[in-house]
Amino acid sequence: MRSRLLWGAARCLWALGATGPARRPLSCDTPPLEELFARDGSLRTFLERQAGSGALVSRPQLASAAKLLSEKEGELREIEHLLRDENEDLQKLAENEIALCQKEITQLKQQIILLLVPSEETDENDLILEVTAGVGGQEAMLFTSEIFDMYQQYAAFKRWHFETLEYFPSEIGGLRHATASIGGSEAYKHMKFEGGVHRVQRVPKTEKQGRIHTSTMTVAILPQPTEINLVINPKDLRTDTKRASGAGGQHVNTTDSAVRIVHLPTGVVSECQQERSQLKNREMAMKKLRAKLYSMHLEEETSKRYNARKIQIGTKGRSEKIRTYNFPQNRVTDHRINKSLHDLETFMQGDYLLDELVQSLKDYADYESLVEIISQKV
Amino acid sequence: MELWGRLLWALLTGPGRRAGIPGWISSSWQPHRPLAGLSSATELVSHWTGVFEKRGIPEARVSSEYIVAHVLGAKTFQSLRPILRTQPLTPQQLQCIQELSSRRLQRMPVQYILGEWDFHGLSLKMVPPVFIPRPETEELVEWVLEEVAQRSHVVGARGGPLILEVGCGSGAIALSLLSELPQSRVIAVDKGEAAISLTRENAQRLRLQDRIWIVHIDVTLERSWTHLLSWGPMDLVISNPPYIFHQDMEQLAPEICSYEDPAALDGGEEGMDIIIHILALAPQLLKDSGSIFLEVDPRHPELVSSWLQSRPDLNLSLVAVRRDFCGRSRFLHIQRFGP
Repeated sequence: MRSRLLWGAARCLWALGATGPARRPLSCDTPPLEELFARDGSLRTFLERQAGSGALVSRPQLASAAKLLSEKEGELREIEHLLRDENEDLQKLAENEIALCQKEITQLKQQIILLLVPSEETDENDLILEVTAGVGGQEAMLFTSEIFDMYQQYAAFKRWHFETLEYFPSEIGGLRHATASIGGSEAYKHMKFEGGVHRVQRVPKTEKQGRIHTSTMTVAILPQPTEINLVINPKDLRTDTKRASGAGGQHVNTTDSAVRIVHLPTGVVSECQQERSQLKNREMAMKKLRAKLYSMHLEEETSKRYNARKIQIGTKGRSEKIRTYNFPQNRVTDHRINKSLHDLETFMQGDYLLDELVQSLKDYADYESLVEIISQKV
Repeated sequence: MELWGRLLWALLTGPGRRAGIPGWISSSWQPHRPLAGLSSATELVSHWTGVFEKRGIPEARVSSEYIVAHVLGAKTFQSLRPILRTQPLTPQQLQCIQELSSRRLQRMPVQYILGEWDFHGLSLKMVPPVFIPRPETEELVEWVLEEVAQRSHVVGARGGPLILEVGCGSGAIALSLLSELPQSRVIAVDKGEAAISLTRENAQRLRLQDRIWIVHIDVTLERSWTHLLSWGPMDLVISNPPYIFHQDMEQLAPEICSYEDPAALDGGEEGMDIIIHILALAPQLLKDSGSIFLEVDPRHPELVSSWLQSRPDLNLSLVAVRRDFCGRSRFLHIQRFGP
C-alpha cells in the first residue's frame, strides 16, 4: 500500500504544476448528501446492517461500492498522516494524493446514491408541459409567456424535442394557457421538479406608478405514458369536430380542424386546434388526454406510496409555491431547497443556470428518498 | 376607423374586383393615421370575422384567422407567434389580407384562397378546380397504412407495395402513402388535366416524383386502362372516387359547387358510377388477394355489397367497413380472392 502511494506521489512530482488545487465537485449548498455519509451516520449504519444481514448479496454492485468506499476512506486516513511529515515535498505530494482520493470517494458516494435511490417508473418518459396564468391579470399572463419561452429554450439546451400543442395568448402579448409536448433523454427526470406555482415580483410593464406587483403562474408536468403504461378503450372516447353534423365527406368543405376529445368515464377533456390537418390535431389532443389520464393514475399511486416526502415532486405539488423570481433583487429562489441564484436574466434564458437549479433539486430529492429508504428498513 | 370601414365597404361591395385598386388603396394607406387603430393581427381577425358574418359567409372566424395567419407566415392563428398578434402589420400585409378576404366574400374555399392545405402531415398546393382533400380521407390513408404494416409481417420485406390510385386530384392520398411507405411505388391516374399537373407539381415539391407515375386516363372509357397492365399486378387499389348522389349535387354549398370540379364529386344516380368502374377493372390489375380501399357515402356499403353479390365473376368480396371520426360508415376494404 505504502509503495503504491509513493509511486503515485512520484508521478505527481514529475508532472509539475499539472495538478492544480483540489476542486470539490459537489457545490457548497448540497451538504445533506454528505451528511448522510458521515461516520456513524445513518446511511453508514444502514449499509453495515445490510452487509451484516446478507441483504447485499443480491446487490453485488452496491456491496462492492460500499466495500471500495471504506477501503478508500482508510487509504485517505493513512495519507493524512503524511501531511504532518517534515519533508515539504512529501507534504505537497500528500495533498495531491488526498485530492485524488477525495474525488474517488465522492464518485463512489454518488454511485451508491444512484444504486440506492429507486428511479421512478416514468423518469425516461416524454412529458406534457402545461402553463397557466394565475393571480395578477395581464402581468401574470406576460410572466406565463416568459416562463413558457424559458422552458422552450431549456428543451433546446438539453437537445430535447419541443412541440407546442396549444397556445392561448392574451391581448397584449401575454399567455393565458399553453401546453407543449417535450421528449428526449431523461426529459421527465429533469422537468418533474418544475411543477408548482411560480411567483414573480417586479414592476409590471402595465404599471404606471412604478409599484412592485406580485403575480403567479402554475406549471404542471405530466409524464407521457407509453402504449404499455396506459391503455384506453376507444369506446370510452367521444370525439367532437365541426363536421359532426350533416353528411360529411365530399358533401362538405369545412376548414375548422379543431378537435375535442372527451374521456367519458372521467369527464377529462382535451382539445387541439394547432394544425390545419384534423388528423394531426386529433393525434395531439390524444397525446394530451393520455398524459392527463396517466398523471391522474400516478397521482393515486404516489399518494398511496410516498406520503412522507417533503419535496413535492411532479404532479403532487401543483398547488404549492415552489419558486420566486424577484426582479428588483435580480434573484430567483427555490423555496423547497432554499437556494437562490443571482442572475435572473440568464436564468430565464433557460440554459445552464436553470440546469444547475434542476440538478440541486434532483440531489435534494435523492437525499430525501435515501432518508426515507434508510428509515424504512432500519 | 369609420373612414376605413366605409372605404373597405365600398371596395368589397363594389361591382366585381376592380383592377387598379391596389395602387390607390396603398397610397392612401399611410397618411390616414386613424387606420392604425385597425392594424394588429388580432384586430384584423375580429374585423373580418364581423364582415364575413354580416355577409353570411360560413366559418367566418376561422376563415379570417386562416387568412391573417397565412399572410403572417403561419399555418393557423393558434400557432402564430404571440408577438405577431399584437404587432402592427405592414401596408403590404394589410393589402394582401384585404385581397384574400375579398375572395372569401365570393365564397371561394379557404384552401384555394391560401393556395395550399395540409393533409396527413404534408402541405399540398391547392388550385381550383382540383378537388380539395377532406379530413375523412386522412383516415382512409391511416387504414391502408395499418393494413400494409400488418401484411409486411406476413409477406416479408420484398420491397414495398405497388399501389394504384384512381382519381388522384391534388395527389393527397398517393403522396401521403409514398411519404409514409419509403419502399412503395404509386401509379396515380386522373381524367382531369388540372389534377394531373397539380399532382405532378406536389410530387416535385415534396421530392416524391421518383416513385410516382402520373397517368392521364379516364377509367370509364373502354379499355383505356389496358396500358396500366405494363406495371404488372398491383398490391393495392385505393380511391376516393366521386360518390355524391346526383340529386344531392344541387344542395352543395357554393364553396363546392362554384369552385370544385363536379366530375370529382358527382357519382351519378346512386353515386356508384365510378365505384362500379373501379370494381370492374380492379380484378384484372390486382394480385391474388390484393385489396381495394374506397372512401364512399354511408349508403354505399350496402349498395356495394349487393352489387358485388350480383357479380361473382369478379372474385371480389367486401371484407370490412370502417366508420369515420364522426361515426359514419365511410371506408370499404374489398379483397380479391382466388383466380
